[in-house]
Amino acid sequence: MKNLSIEELGKLADELREEVVYTVSNTGGHLSSNLGVAELTVALHHVFDTPVDKILWDVGHQSYPHKILTGRRSRMHSIRQTCGLAGFPKREESIHDAFGAGHSSTSISAGLGMAVGRDLLGKNNHVIAVIGDGAMTAGMAYEALNNAGYLDTNLIIILNDNKQVSLPTATVDGPAPPVGALSKALTKLHSNREFRQLREAAKGITKQIGGQTHEIAAKFDSCMRGVVGGSGASLFEELGVYYIGPVDGHDVEDLVYVMNEIKSMPAPGPVLIHVITEKGKGYAPAEVAPDKMHGVVKFDPKSGKQMKSKSATRSYTQYFAESLIAEAQEDDKIVGIHAAMGGGTGLNLFQKQFPDRCFDVGIAEQHAVTFAAGLASEGLKPFCAIYSSFLQRGFDQVAHDVDLQKLPVRFALDRAGLVGADGPTHCGAFDTTFMACLPNMVVMAPSNETELMHMVATAAAIDDRPSCFRYPRGNGIGSILPPNNKGTPLEIGKGRVLREGSGRVAILGYGTIVQSCMQAAEQLQMHDISTTVADARFCKPIDGDLLKQLAQEHEILITVEEGSIGGFSTHVSHFLCLNGLLDGKLKWRPMVLPDRYIDHGSQSDQIEEAGLSSKHIAATVLSLLGLTRGSKCII
Amino acid sequence: MRCTYGLTAIPGTDARFFSPETSFLRLRRTFQPTRIKFGSFKIKAKIDEARKEMSFYELLGISETGTSLEIKQAYKQLARKYHPDVSPPDRVEEYTERFIRVQEAYETLSDPRTRALYDKDLALGIHLAFSARRRYQYDEDLEDRSEWKNRWQSQLSELKRRSMNRDAGGNMSWGARMRRQREELSKEL
Repeated sequence: MKNLSIEELGKLADELREEVVYTVSNTGGHLSSNLGVAELTVALHHVFDTPVDKILWDVGHQSYPHKILTGRRSRMHSIRQTCGLAGFPKREESIHDAFGAGHSSTSISAGLGMAVGRDLLGKNNHVIAVIGDGAMTAGMAYEALNNAGYLDTNLIIILNDNKQVSLPTATVDGPAPPVGALSKALTKLHSNREFRQLREAAKGITKQIGGQTHEIAAKFDSCMRGVVGGSGASLFEELGVYYIGPVDGHDVEDLVYVMNEIKSMPAPGPVLIHVITEKGKGYAPAEVAPDKMHGVVKFDPKSGKQMKSKSATRSYTQYFAESLIAEAQEDDKIVGIHAAMGGGTGLNLFQKQFPDRCFDVGIAEQHAVTFAAGLASEGLKPFCAIYSSFLQRGFDQVAHDVDLQKLPVRFALDRAGLVGADGPTHCGAFDTTFMACLPNMVVMAPSNETELMHMVATAAAIDDRPSCFRYPRGNGIGSILPPNNKGTPLEIGKGRVLREGSGRVAILGYGTIVQSCMQAAEQLQMHDISTTVADARFCKPIDGDLLKQLAQEHEILITVEEGSIGGFSTHVSHFLCLNGLLDGKLKWRPMVLPDRYIDHGSQSDQIEEAGLSSKHIAATVLSLLGLTRGSKCII
Repeated sequence: MRCTYGLTAIPGTDARFFSPETSFLRLRRTFQPTRIKFGSFKIKAKIDEARKEMSFYELLGISETGTSLEIKQAYKQLARKYHPDVSPPDRVEEYTERFIRVQEAYETLSDPRTRALYDKDLALGIHLAFSARRRYQYDEDLEDRSEWKNRWQSQLSELKRRSMNRDAGGNMSWGARMRRQREELSKEL
């Protein structure tokens, strides 16, 4: 790539675009973010030399062109599939992927770490972090900039600005304006008429005064920039980072020129290049779509029409949104909060109904949680809809601001459990563990969409302490919904028995995995084993009576959850131990996610890999009964 | 009469399909990958023809004195109808093309400046649907981009200048100290 001319680089970018469109049309994945950075990727690889130079892609959903250019073109058809390429940068996958990503705003921090490491080891390579304007709404990016400015080490930060701050980049009705005051500041940098005119005037003045030494002119210039050049530039400069831009992100010649200049300087220190791109550029259906075709399933390349599979039921996300709307219609204190994920959490629908009661704070989960705590302290009823894995970065806020003060914030944890093609970065394995260990938190999980609606109502009714409920990625099972989507509050701390067995075996499930438990019971029935299946509903407070009943009336008790160790099963064991229920004949076994990260793939493949399918549950029962031959038949 | 800027190689409609305004300056992009473009060419050709017949107001089904709310409502209705995702499979291309036209109409009419320009053209009997917006947008973008270039060029020269003096003795930042150390080490070798 080093030997290509500028014109050839431009062609390469176009070919990359084509490749991305055709690949993603077959596999699904992230489309428009990759189209927007074709030229940028080409320029970066032309100027810099990975793997010696380090290029970090923030979030990483725009790394497809990078992967294609770094020797993975032949495997792109497998992207996001089981045993295929990851949909995000992954260090184990290639030496050209400098740092793994999935959650946002981590690139500058990691890049600074790599730069400092390079300096301490006396090496001489370049470190480049590419971050989007959406990711710049997170505090971590500023923590990193602040530190970078202070350390004054050589670091290149590329701010990829396409004015798309939230996902999807549209509300139900059309394009969404960027969230946050920051976006306005960045926009001011794009076009500043007054600045230009003033500058022309200033040039005239300096000409007249004549004989200017360079320092004075430079001081004047930077002073001007601070005053008129948009608050954004001086924000970065105050942090000690040198600002360059805006640069046209689709002009390879400009990009290459700027990068080469900086590369040739011995001591530029931390530099931020503000690059303007258009999301979805070069593919008409993406450019015109209100959500820019950010995340897509298979589609037809000629028209851009997505081949969404028809399903009898809708997603848990949609059911959640509808039941929240139903609650909010009766109680005007209910408000919704999300962190730049209006579509993903379903709060786009809520916003349409209640535009003043829905808050998108940008990619800022920590702020979202404490913001919700503030709302709750004033008597409102905030519902914080944050993905299970994204809440990880807000854990201290949950513990310290919400739980410790016992403020009634409701957490709707979408994407709990295994999530499929996005892989381990997005896997919601830990939420039960970190929520249920908090003293005041009510922790529950629905086994189907009807239960979900009831739990939304339950959470709305819990007004003296925080609560949370988790639900997976995927569609409902088709259970009958309450009228008008309005749930009824459940009795707190009470589970239910779904299937009465007459034998020695009981299976207690937590969450939607209860459905797999029911299927396992069917399979066991074919072996003449009668099984009791129960749905715990609550992890905290746990249903002690149900546990006692199950423990005393059966010889074998299996608890199943789609979460890591330390969650529901641990709370069960704690209860059983303290109540002497493990001192007798009972054989209790937990089934949880294994103690390793499950790679991306289809959700069913992942469940198999994790050993939590209905077959595995049935096999566990059989092996406990000593019927190992039968268990081999099932598997 | 199409685009007055001499983009004869590329049917002059919308940069959103292919080239941004700046590439016009360089007149590259004569090569286009054929696969995607074929469909787009057909769509664009159709758009060009049809555009000659219907004004934006007729396209959206509103009167020329429509309020911005009416424009928005009409757009939403039509956008929902013609969106590729909901269009019947055998008429996807036609619907997509309609959708794009409706989109253009909305963009031009929802912005008061471009609407004013468009109305002016309309009064002169010219249905230059897109180029009104293009012209205004184009001029503005062109100015913006050349301004950007000037700006970052001067920023770069300033950075270069600073970079020369950065690690002088007085600078005690961590980064400067490390760079000096590295310099000394490499001199010794």
